[in-house]
Amino acid sequence: MAASIWVKCKQAALLPVICLLLNSCTDNTADNGIQAETAPAAEQPKFEVLTVEIKDMKFVPDSITVKKGDEVVFVNRDIVTHCVTEEKSKAWTSGMILAGESYIWKATESAAYICAIHKVMKGKIVVQ
Amino acid sequence: MKHTILKCLGIAFVVSLGIAPAKAQNTLTDPEIAHVAVTANSIDIGYAEIAKEKSKDADVLNFAKAMASDHKAVIDQAVALVTKLHVTPADNGVSKKMLADAEKTKKMLRSKSGKAFDKAYIDNEVAYHKAVIAAVETVLIPQSHNAELKDLLQKVAPTLKTHLEHAEMVQSNFNGHGSKHMGKM
Ligand SMILES: [Cu+2]
Repeated sequence: MAASIWVKCKQAALLPVICLLLNSCTDNTADNGIQAETAPAAEQPKFEVLTVEIKDMKFVPDSITVKKGDEVVFVNRDIVTHCVTEEKSKAWTSGMILAGESYIWKATESAAYICAIHKVMKGKIVVQ
Repeated sequence: MKHTILKCLGIAFVVSLGIAPAKAQNTLTDPEIAHVAVTANSIDIGYAEIAKEKSKDADVLNFAKAMASDHKAVIDQAVALVTKLHVTPADNGVSKKMLADAEKTKKMLRSKSGKAFDKAYIDNEVAYHKAVIAAVETVLIPQSHNAELKDLLQKVAPTLKTHLEHAEMVQSNFNGHGSKHMGKM
C-alpha cells in the first residue's frame, strides 16, 4: 500500500526529468544535423509536467507559471486529505486527494485555486 | 519581541489545558504524551460531531467536517506509531483534566442552538486550537524522547495552525455579519 504510493509519487517526480532528457536529446540532434534513428521529433511531447507539493498545509510553490497543455501534478505529502478547487466559480475541482496521492491538472487557463477543505490554503497557476 | 509575547500566551494556554501543573511536578513520559495527543484529537472530533448535529451554517459544517477528518488522520498516525513502537498510551492527569474540561464545554455547546451555537462552537475552536498548539510546541514536542514521536508531533503542528487560521476566518465572518443582530454572548 504505502510502497505503491511511493512509487506513484516517485514517478510523478521523475516525469519532469524525463521530459527534460527527451527535450535535450531532440535539441542535440537538431544542432548536430544528424538524423537520429530514435523516435521522430514529431512524437516528442511538447508539454511539460510540473509538480506542486501539498506539504505542511501549503501548496509549494503557491504560484506557478505554465504553458497551455502542460500538466501540473499536485502531490499530497501531508497526513490529511486535501483538494484543489478553482476559487472564483468552482469551475473545476480535483475532488479529495488522499494522503500520499496525487492529482493531475491539464493547463487550459489561468486560475486561482483553494483547498475547499481548508479554505485558508491558496495558490495560483498562470497559464501563458 | 513577538516571540516573547507568543511564549507568554503559550504558557497561559498551557495552563488552561491543565498541562502546566503536571510539568511543574514532573515531565510526561512518551506513553503519556501519546495518550495526551490522542485525547486532544478525540476531544476536537467530539466537538465536531456536536456541530455536525446542530449547525446549519455551511462554513461551520465544512469546518467541522475537516476537523473530524483531520484529527482522525492524526489519531490513526499516532496509533500506527505506538503499535510499531510496542508502546501503550498511558492515561495521566493531563489527559484526565482535558477530558473533564471537554465534558463541560460539550455541555455548554449542547445548551445552545442556531447562530449562538455556531458562534460558541467557533469561538471554542479558536481557543482550543490555540491551547493545543501551545501544548504541542512548549510541552509535548520538547518532552518527547522518541524521535518518531517528536517527528509526528512536529508534522501535526502546521495542521493545527491551519485549523486555527480557518477557525479565525469563520469567526471573523460571524463577527462581521452577526454583531448587528446579536448582543454580547
Ligand atoms: Cu487542505
